[in-house]
Amino acid sequence: MFKKLALFFALTACSFIWAQQDSIFHLREVVLTDTQLKNFSNSQNTTILTDSIIQKNQASLTSLLRYNSVIYFKENGNGMVSSPSFRGTTAQQTAVVWNGININSQLNGQTDFNTLTTRDFNSITVRAGGGSVIYGSGAIGGTIHLNNEVSFKEKFNNQLRFNYGSFATLGTHYNLDIATKKVAAYASITHNQSDNDYEYIGYKKKNENGQYQNTSFNSHIGYKINQNNSIKFFGYLFDGERYFSGTIASPSKSKYLDFNTRNLFEWTNYAGLFTSKTKIAYLTEEYKYFENKNSETFSTGKANTFIAKYDLLYKLSSKIKLNSIIDYTQNTGSGSDLSKNTRQIGSFSVLMKHQLTNSFSYEASLRKEITSNYKSPLLYAIGGNIKICNWYALKFSGSKNFRIPTFNDLYWQGSGNLNLKPESSLQAEIGQVFTYKKFSLTTTAYYSKITDMLRWLPNISGQWQPINTDNVKIYGIEGLLNWQKEFKNSSLQINGTYAYTVSENEDTKKQLIYVPFHKATSSIAYRYKRVSVNYQNLFNGEVFTSSDNVYKLKEYFVSNAAIDYRIGSKKAIIIGFQVLNLENKPYQNVASRPLPGRNYMMNLTFNF
Amino acid sequence: MILKRVFIIAAVAVFFSSCSSDDDNTIIENNEPLGAYDEGVLILNQGNFGQDNSSISYLSNDFVTFQNNAFLAVNPTKVLGNTGQDIGFYEDLAFVVLNASNKIEVVNRYTLEYVATIDTGLDNPRFITFANGKGYVTNWGDGGVTTDDYVAVINLSSYTVSSSISVVEGPERIIENNGKLYVAHQGGYGYGNSISVINSTSNIVTNTIAVGDVPNSLKINNGNLYVICGGKAAWTNDETLGKLVTINLTNEAVTGTIDFASGNHPSNLYIADNSIFYTQDSDVFKMNLTATSLPTTALFSTSDQGVYGVYSFAVENNKIYVGDAVDYNSNGEVYIYSNTGALEKQYTVGVIPAGFYFN
Repeated sequence: MFKKLALFFALTACSFIWAQQDSIFHLREVVLTDTQLKNFSNSQNTTILTDSIIQKNQASLTSLLRYNSVIYFKENGNGMVSSPSFRGTTAQQTAVVWNGININSQLNGQTDFNTLTTRDFNSITVRAGGGSVIYGSGAIGGTIHLNNEVSFKEKFNNQLRFNYGSFATLGTHYNLDIATKKVAAYASITHNQSDNDYEYIGYKKKNENGQYQNTSFNSHIGYKINQNNSIKFFGYLFDGERYFSGTIASPSKSKYLDFNTRNLFEWTNYAGLFTSKTKIAYLTEEYKYFENKNSETFSTGKANTFIAKYDLLYKLSSKIKLNSIIDYTQNTGSGSDLSKNTRQIGSFSVLMKHQLTNSFSYEASLRKEITSNYKSPLLYAIGGNIKICNWYALKFSGSKNFRIPTFNDLYWQGSGNLNLKPESSLQAEIGQVFTYKKFSLTTTAYYSKITDMLRWLPNISGQWQPINTDNVKIYGIEGLLNWQKEFKNSSLQINGTYAYTVSENEDTKKQLIYVPFHKATSSIAYRYKRVSVNYQNLFNGEVFTSSDNVYKLKEYFVSNAAIDYRIGSKKAIIIGFQVLNLENKPYQNVASRPLPGRNYMMNLTFNF
Repeated sequence: MILKRVFIIAAVAVFFSSCSSDDDNTIIENNEPLGAYDEGVLILNQGNFGQDNSSISYLSNDFVTFQNNAFLAVNPTKVLGNTGQDIGFYEDLAFVVLNASNKIEVVNRYTLEYVATIDTGLDNPRFITFANGKGYVTNWGDGGVTTDDYVAVINLSSYTVSSSISVVEGPERIIENNGKLYVAHQGGYGYGNSISVINSTSNIVTNTIAVGDVPNSLKINNGNLYVICGGKAAWTNDETLGKLVTINLTNEAVTGTIDFASGNHPSNLYIADNSIFYTQDSDVFKMNLTATSLPTTALFSTSDQGVYGVYSFAVENNKIYVGDAVDYNSNGEVYIYSNTGALEKQYTVGVIPAGFYFN
């Protein structure tokens, strides 16, 4: 069975997006440790980016999502700090969830999407809309799920991959994936580096001081003790060094180091109608910032997170699932500008899913946190899915979500504000899904209101401090399209996303900075026998760079093309060539920081 | 129905990709060079943090002519840079110090036409002045390093840094008198409390004068140096008093010190019409040059204009100029008041108006 599946995926090696096809989880017979993603996401849009799409895109999470989702990214130059805006929200309002654990930084509340290497994950799921009941702080615009799938299917696979391209960009990746019926083990190591000294088109300047390198190590081990008990361990380590590039008119000499580790141990027990998961996680994050790369002087910050979680799923009947989660989290943060502090949060959630009829299901959930650090609101979510006929379904949901103040917000020396409230968001959405054979189109309209938005502003004596100030109204529509067609010797795959987003400060009636009104992506992939060609593009509408909406960055359209050739059938060798920014367009997604013009990448993958 | 929707989405995508315009990402209301930028004030706008949109606005003394982005209007192929910090005039030249860009753009002060760029030998440059036919620019070096601060000496014919004079941490404003330079050590990332005296013939630090904490502005009048020290703010957990210090420049001795009340942190010293002006949060104060105590009430408050802490300040031609940084992200505002504090004019300038330079 597995081989057939592998073959199936390999043969359709082209850009795939499966929108809300929950069935894929069952198809692959793999176990996601993030079970809520599978069980309680029926009323929202989830887009699964499979291994084959991950392979087709550049290694950073930024470039994968930029071309394959509605999320907008601001990148301080290629490979530099990258922050998302999902559904018109801020970078802290998108949560990144690693195997079910929220890994947004405790220090600044966001994830830098250039500090995660996509090659390390088996699949990446984009879940649009609120998810704080399940995933906690920051799950407002949506969540990005990095999944490692543990499957007890016999296999012994190795993969070695190299890519090399313009600006001396080099990537190497090796993974070992072995499993018996009792034990599954996976380990991968990935290294990326680049001189990144691309030309600023039209300025006779290069991207100086932009070189980077990073190494990540990822592993998981699963052991099936018996029919009813299994244990799993997931480990992830990222070690990155980046020189921060300057702007067009400003040279830079700074350097930034990231060192992050994530560890998760999980014991699953099946007892009749009950499935319990006991999880212990330990996460560390640390950065070092060198204002001058030639100097030994740096500023630093670090945070450690310990999580103990008990997750009990009860199948009340074949139609009703009840799930309760008790979570204890302890964060400790410190740094050169941060006094050492520890924060403890306890939370309790209950979730229910009821398949009322064959065509109608609904979900409802609640979460309450107990902590002395902030006043925690009651979070909730409710949603449903109605299959009206075999080609048309309706989804609807509403939820209350939040984002808690970070260690920097609370404890930054001289600026920290201990009287902050969490940001909260109330949102509702309705979506329709059209499916016909292998065609699917999802359109979703949503509305959300964010109150007590945190912003750092200078106070009357000129000292910058975070305060709960803004109220923001966000609404928009999203469209996700995919279609695939199999022919005798060939296959065709078309995907598209489009988002229209209004994210308005209610006091000033101005669009939030760096939120485009329009963003669209599309890709087309065609395979004929052993050759596949792939074209993807991205349209990003203009964004304002100042809160009075006077300064803006113009819209851009960039595209990439790739061709792959496979040698061998079962354990294939794949040779590929890519042209990025095909039309050599000058563009910026953060003001004064140009992104690369046309550049090339070759890749070679051995499966053995 | 499905196909129709697909078609609409496809059409929308095509539409948006085909209508890419070539608009520039900056706004210029009046983008023709004015020709003459004298008889008025140049307003230096810092620009957004991390962006290359520092700009210069011009306002004529008779308030008839106003232009934003004047540098760009005159030099459309040049980028002024990132974080405009100070402008110094020397003969018919203006030297624009750009802090984050680590450079100085030299332009003709009357036409704003580009002359030269000084971009080596500067490291976190702050303020500029001139003495003895040379330019002097304060530099922080690395903000996090306390021992690499210096004053760069500029050769004004070759537009290069000819030497540097090592000074203690955080040199900020610099002023010239009688061939000597007085450097206020506001403190950079830390808190300074001294004035360095530099001899412009030998380029040697000849004296250090102790003042209050955080000397943030200084002016010379009639052989005396007046220094406003802001004091350390409450959030430092080591709050100290603000001070107005007077130094006799003949013997470089402190001849007077007036303490501000606890919790008051003044800045923006200006001297005009035999009066001392300074600001405290949103309020503007005025006192006689010879007064030995501080005024108990403000001359006026800018809070009616919504100014939340005066960012830049000047007094000229019997008018009081106030720069408001608004939210430090949007275009700023300049308010012009009569010498009694009645609002007379208001202009929207570039992002974060940092200083007024009367030309």
